[in-house]
Amino acid sequence: MLPCSWGLWRSAIHTLKTFRASPSARGLCIPTRAVCDAETIFALSSGHGRCGVAVVRVSGPASSMVLRNMAGLTQALPPPRTALLRRITDPQSKELLDRGLVLWFKGPHSFTGEDSAEFHIHGGPAVITAVLQALGSLEGVRPAEAGEFTRRAFHAGKLGLTEVEGLGDLIHAETEAQRRQALRQMDGELGRLYQDWSYRLKRCLAHVEAFIDFSEDELIEDGVLNQVDSSVRQLETEIERHLKDERRGERLRTGVQVVIAGATNAGKSSLLNTLCQRPAAIVSPIAGTTRDIVETSLDIGGFPVLLSDTAGLRDSSDSVEREGVRRARQRVEQADLTLVVVDSTQLPPDPQLVAAFLQEHLSTVLPSPEAGMTAASDRVLLVLNKSDLVPEEQRERTEGELRERPGLPPACFLSCSTSTGLEDFLTVLQSRVKTLCGDPLSGAPSLTQARHRAHLQQSVQALNQYHQYRDQDLALAAEGVRLALTHLGRITGRVGAEEILDIIFRDFCIGK
Amino acid sequence: MLAQKLHLLRHNVLSFVSSRTGSDLTRRQYDVIVVGGGHAGTEAAAAAARLGAETLLITQKIMTIGALSCNPSLGGVGKGQLVREVDALDGLCGRAGDSAGVHFSILNRSKGPAVWGPRAQLDRERYRQFIQSELLSTPRLTVLEGSVDELLVSQPNPEEPGHHRVTGIRLVDGSHPILSSSVVLTTGTFLSGSLFMGQTTSPGGRMGDAQSCAGLSYTLKETLGLRVGRLRTGTPPRIVKESVDLSLAQLQAPDKQPTPFSFLNTHTRCKPEEQLPCYLTHTTPGVERVVRESVHLNCHIQQDAKGPRYCPSIESRVLRFPGRRHQVWLEPEGLTSDLLYPQGLSMTMPPELQLRLLREIPALHRAEIRTPGYGVQYDFVCPTQLTPSLQVKSTQGLFLAGQINGTTGYEEAAAQGLWAGVNAGRTALSLPPMALSRTQSYIGVLIDDLVGRGVTEPYRMFTSRAEFRTYLRPDNADLRLTPRGFEEVGCVTLRRYKKAVSVRDGLQEALMALQSVALSSTRWREKLGNISLSENKSTTLNGLDLLQYKDVSFEMLASAFPECLSQYFEYSQRLKIEAVYRPHCEKQSREMERIRSEESLSLPSDMDYLSLPVSLSQEVREILDRVRPNTLGAATRLPGMTPAGIIHLLNYSNGNFHLGCGVPLGGSG
Repeated sequence: MLPCSWGLWRSAIHTLKTFRASPSARGLCIPTRAVCDAETIFALSSGHGRCGVAVVRVSGPASSMVLRNMAGLTQALPPPRTALLRRITDPQSKELLDRGLVLWFKGPHSFTGEDSAEFHIHGGPAVITAVLQALGSLEGVRPAEAGEFTRRAFHAGKLGLTEVEGLGDLIHAETEAQRRQALRQMDGELGRLYQDWSYRLKRCLAHVEAFIDFSEDELIEDGVLNQVDSSVRQLETEIERHLKDERRGERLRTGVQVVIAGATNAGKSSLLNTLCQRPAAIVSPIAGTTRDIVETSLDIGGFPVLLSDTAGLRDSSDSVEREGVRRARQRVEQADLTLVVVDSTQLPPDPQLVAAFLQEHLSTVLPSPEAGMTAASDRVLLVLNKSDLVPEEQRERTEGELRERPGLPPACFLSCSTSTGLEDFLTVLQSRVKTLCGDPLSGAPSLTQARHRAHLQQSVQALNQYHQYRDQDLALAAEGVRLALTHLGRITGRVGAEEILDIIFRDFCIGK
Repeated sequence: MLAQKLHLLRHNVLSFVSSRTGSDLTRRQYDVIVVGGGHAGTEAAAAAARLGAETLLITQKIMTIGALSCNPSLGGVGKGQLVREVDALDGLCGRAGDSAGVHFSILNRSKGPAVWGPRAQLDRERYRQFIQSELLSTPRLTVLEGSVDELLVSQPNPEEPGHHRVTGIRLVDGSHPILSSSVVLTTGTFLSGSLFMGQTTSPGGRMGDAQSCAGLSYTLKETLGLRVGRLRTGTPPRIVKESVDLSLAQLQAPDKQPTPFSFLNTHTRCKPEEQLPCYLTHTTPGVERVVRESVHLNCHIQQDAKGPRYCPSIESRVLRFPGRRHQVWLEPEGLTSDLLYPQGLSMTMPPELQLRLLREIPALHRAEIRTPGYGVQYDFVCPTQLTPSLQVKSTQGLFLAGQINGTTGYEEAAAQGLWAGVNAGRTALSLPPMALSRTQSYIGVLIDDLVGRGVTEPYRMFTSRAEFRTYLRPDNADLRLTPRGFEEVGCVTLRRYKKAVSVRDGLQEALMALQSVALSSTRWREKLGNISLSENKSTTLNGLDLLQYKDVSFEMLASAFPECLSQYFEYSQRLKIEAVYRPHCEKQSREMERIRSEESLSLPSDMDYLSLPVSLSQEVREILDRVRPNTLGAATRLPGMTPAGIIHLLNYSNGNFHLGCGVPLGGSG
């Protein structure tokens, strides 16, 4: 079965004859065959949100070492695929992190085909974060990139054709999740901090490069490098201090991001208040009341949700309101789930025209399709508010029209003032949130932190290389700055197109 | 039909004259025709001929073949790497530089061997002579003086992508057409070129030469529908040497021991003691005043064609960075020349003001101008319309190289010329086109940047453009390129190949010998004396590990282990460099592999991006449609391309594999 899909890929994409290293010439060249997946990776593989047990998976050659170090298994490893109750400790401080089950899978008899281990630990965020950080502190072990387990499984021939075909969708979903996560992060304080570092690092690199490429012909004083020296040192200090900062978690927003959007005066703020059962946003009948984002965190079906109310989307001459609208659009783009509120009294009285009307309406509210969101997306719910103002018969006929309508998200009639329809709406909302929470892609914050730490640490290490070679070999010193920037770039959320291709090429081993 | 007839004709003619060489002007049929005798054209013609193609080089004046139109120098930071690579592929410019150089120096000597910039001041006369005698003695290469009026095109070969196929050229004298399988255009600044000096403008691409050929421009723009842009450049006035007071300038001595560009040469033609110095001086506030007073008399700088940000005219330097002192290098033009070249004083103001400006500089206060500076504006073909083999995507067999692709500089031109010549030759010999990877060479970086991203200003090579700078070094260009240049490409002669192979094997042996000597760090300290090793006492280090240390040289190790190392003395510098960079290059190998995979995936060139039934934004569609990336690698590097866009593109290609563009399935990958 597999070769069939291979054939498709290979003939779709012609292999261009490239002038490349021949084995005979390799003596002094770089070994051209990359060491595939020699690193050991880990990830929280259960969903996040409140759950009793969390599963952390480890895969790669160092898995047995991880198990020995963290589960105190100094002697033999447990028999493969047998659960063992152990104390799970921090490998450095030997501090007890949790008591939980550990499992050992000897390759190739594992999900990824590699040596693997699993930690089944208590589901609280503190425990999960502690275990993930402990894992990240081990040499040769790093947080997995999104979907990396699946890719390794594919490599090992552990996935069937259906799964292989699904991989394309998976990559897409991961990209989207990463993108949303990145957009979110860039919005906050942490994002600004990283952005600032990245900006300064870029400047450092530019100065070093200028010194290399131009100082022989142009007037570029040696002082430039001295400035870079102190900037790099300053950056190292700041990043290191940040890595030691125990309060970092506070700044990260957690939970499923749900955004309420819609035209002005459709009742967005009323919906927020209904859901929160408290007047968090100012609700008034004047169009354009909410000019900024109002955020509330709440619990829906046991899952953490961050609910945001946005300014009504309309063209406005008021500059404050325009800014509000801009932010609203931005927020919709970052959201995991968008509740589009529509004033039902504005619906066409003829139920047959409603679907087309809503379609049109959604296209004005939602970002363009290539942002990954279409009207049919499972990331949108339609809330037809003010249902109490619509004749019952019209409402029922409209509901009938809209039921199971392809190309439209589920629509719920609701009256925020009378609470009619609230129960039904909450059921739909809950199941959506649950799906999103169970989806490990929607951004587990502790995992994000572990990734950040890994990249920041690598960034600092790379900056060390700058100092190490500063006076010996400027090309190698510059390499250190380049590398540091690459690592930082992975956090600042610039999911470069190359990184995506990285996934694809590694998965399908094209051109090797 | 026509294509077939021509094909037959070609076979007949070929079998008739295949053994003939030299300048036989009665011939009507060649494998490759190269138009233009500059740095790109000469390399292209020589490369095609080396490959085994019957080649015709057409130039306006045989005497200007190999002329250095602008600065009398070759190489530099980034550019020097290109020269070494062209040499490694058996091109001309490295050896020509060694023959013509009168002042050699390695720039960036203190900054690490990866970014060393081999550079030389040249004797214009010697350079021209070397290139001309090389070309005239190259087998299978004919040189013809003439102006091309028209490019002949016919229906494309339906089995390959493209809307046209080139069949030859027609000269201005209106005589017979000359037919060929491929044509390389290297017309430099002659494509709709205009010369500017003060308020006067005249058509042309270089002062003193014939006008540009309007017919060729017409074919490219109208018949082939190629998109062109406009760029500008300029050249400084040439100064009479004896009118300059050199005592007021700072002397810049060359390296005591000249380093040749070519891997074939152990020394340069110019002896160390015969080298000429350069001089450094600076602009004054007076220079700025003259520029400001003359702005209204200066058409060139008022035009909006794009000039380079590096190497700008003195006018733009002064206007952009007022109140500063700018460097001016006074460079020799040759051993017997009575002229100096003021690098940094390219200008286009009226000649009398040029003289006033020069005389504002103390060392030039009595300067006399032999020929005034002037500006050139010219058309270039947007290089995103080319494939990585430098062929025009829409026209089978038509290759472009040099300034016509929006680059600046001799070295950039030579590099493209060589690669275009290789592929023109391969096409004529029915071999599949080849691309150079950006992980393997600066030439690959150059071409990938051009065809993948296009240019908005004249493109010049910098080392910072190369991701794998620590591997793409001037010292190892022969190992990177020569063996494959012989084995796979066919553009390297046996003599050079043998030499490269013996160097490679020698280095390999030497590295193994180094690794075979292992001692504890304590013992090393005893052997080598006072060196600082960071490892603790018990660690065992081999010779290669040790050579990474700043204070350790190969000579030191060889004197400690003469029996197994002294035979490798000739490689001492290369071994030192290899030892320092090797660990870093190994770390990058994964990334290099990734880029190579991307480069090996080509996208159909005739994809209709605007109506592709996939979810792509209009913006992304337009970018793709405009640039038409050749490979997925190039697509990912496009500004504005989104990850989702790439996925959609791949998914689409996946389901529609019949859209293939016929790029030959070569390489084992």
